[in-house]
Amino acid sequence: MKIFKCNSCDYASVSSKYTCPKCRSGKLEAQEVSPEGTVFSFTDIHIAPAEFADIAPYTIALIQLDEADVKVTARMDGPVQIGDKVALDKMEDGAYLYTKL
Amino acid sequence: MTNVYVHGIGMTQFGTFVDKSMKELLLEACIQALEDAGNPKVDAVFVGNFMGGAIYNQEILGAIVANELGLGFIPTAKVEGACASGGIALRQGIMGILSGEYETVLVAGVEKMKHASTSDVTQAINAAMDNDSNEKQAGLTFPGFFGVLANRYFHETGASKKHLAMVALKNREHALNNPLAQFQKPATLDEIMNARMITNPLGLFDCSPMTDGAAALIISKRNSGVHILSSAQSSGPTQMQDAEDLLSIPAIRESGRLAYEKAGVGPEDIDVVEIHDCFSMTEVLAIEELGFFKKREGWKAVEEGRTKSTGDKPVNTSGGLLSRGHPIGATGIAQIYHLVRQLRGTAPNQVDGARLALAQNLGGTGSYSTVHILERV
Repeated sequence: MKIFKCNSCDYASVSSKYTCPKCRSGKLEAQEVSPEGTVFSFTDIHIAPAEFADIAPYTIALIQLDEADVKVTARMDGPVQIGDKVALDKMEDGAYLYTKL
Repeated sequence: MTNVYVHGIGMTQFGTFVDKSMKELLLEACIQALEDAGNPKVDAVFVGNFMGGAIYNQEILGAIVANELGLGFIPTAKVEGACASGGIALRQGIMGILSGEYETVLVAGVEKMKHASTSDVTQAINAAMDNDSNEKQAGLTFPGFFGVLANRYFHETGASKKHLAMVALKNREHALNNPLAQFQKPATLDEIMNARMITNPLGLFDCSPMTDGAAALIISKRNSGVHILSSAQSSGPTQMQDAEDLLSIPAIRESGRLAYEKAGVGPEDIDVVEIHDCFSMTEVLAIEELGFFKKREGWKAVEEGRTKSTGDKPVNTSGGLLSRGHPIGATGIAQIYHLVRQLRGTAPNQVDGARLALAQNLGGTGSYSTVHILERV
């Protein structure tokens, strides 16, 4: 998985920024890390917008990556709890789809 | 410290008004505020509104107000900042007076939502997220953000769904005494705990409703009994995955810090508070971020009843967004409406001798926050 890490402080994010929002001087540089991680938190969405209504209820998780201080928002293929180990199943329409290990 | 004072306030009943147009609601609140202020000459108009264009096909609200009220060819604007549209509109009015350009400004907020379907409104509200992101593509919703946050809050503290229900119950009990509030029907803790799930762990009563309504203020550099001590505004992360600490909303914390600093007061000095309880969880976080209670301990204050109108730090004595209602663009102005009544000594759930009041208005999932501190003089 591609993440973006500041070249002058410890900031890192799953999305790029023009300048580092933490030290405000560094530039973010792309880096490849393992997409595996741990569920930091989650919710089960029962009331969904029209475009996701056919798959509701579905689970959204905020995942702490193992190899970087980066969190990623993903849709799970089933219910999870905080602390569950998870892995990337695939990317679909710009979304990270994760599965429980 | 500002040199701006509140001279007039107006607010419509909040609720379902399918037969009233957005213009009617907006003008009703503006006329009340003008009359309350003794019909002064107005130099500019700022109107907070979020989805008038998206679901009601109506913009140019500033010019409509000036034209319909016969205010002359004065400068006007609509201000959009999601659910903080009202607070930001007020701040624009204050900045206009502070700059010396205007003496007296009419600030209003309005939203009309109940004519539209829930899915259309949900879609429009999603415009307050960064939609060009993997989060939106995954299916994260606006309430979903606060659901994720609540589950983590439970994990890191001793809080549970019951504490969120206690926030919703408190605000409902406050609304029962406020004739302008949307919800006038009593609720029980059991009913709140067992309501339909929206996004785990948040149920129906944990989420603010769709509401029609408007509110308005006349502010001026001429003295009055209510002085706006300070006005502050901040931005924050527009995506959940960008939060450095998921249990912190930096825009709230920073706007609060700036407002206290400018006013020369601290959280311990504030007598009565209106904060942005778009969800019950948001109220718990906001009372922490604004320094009323320690981080990760807001839930204890709720449990001890400290945020009730009878507690030592009364929060949302109007009923808050959860029960007063949340006509998005009007909310930031309605908070000030209620606090001015608290400072005048004429509010529902009146806090005895209230002298310092604080309003905090949030937009998006922490994207915008404004804080205003008012003093009875």
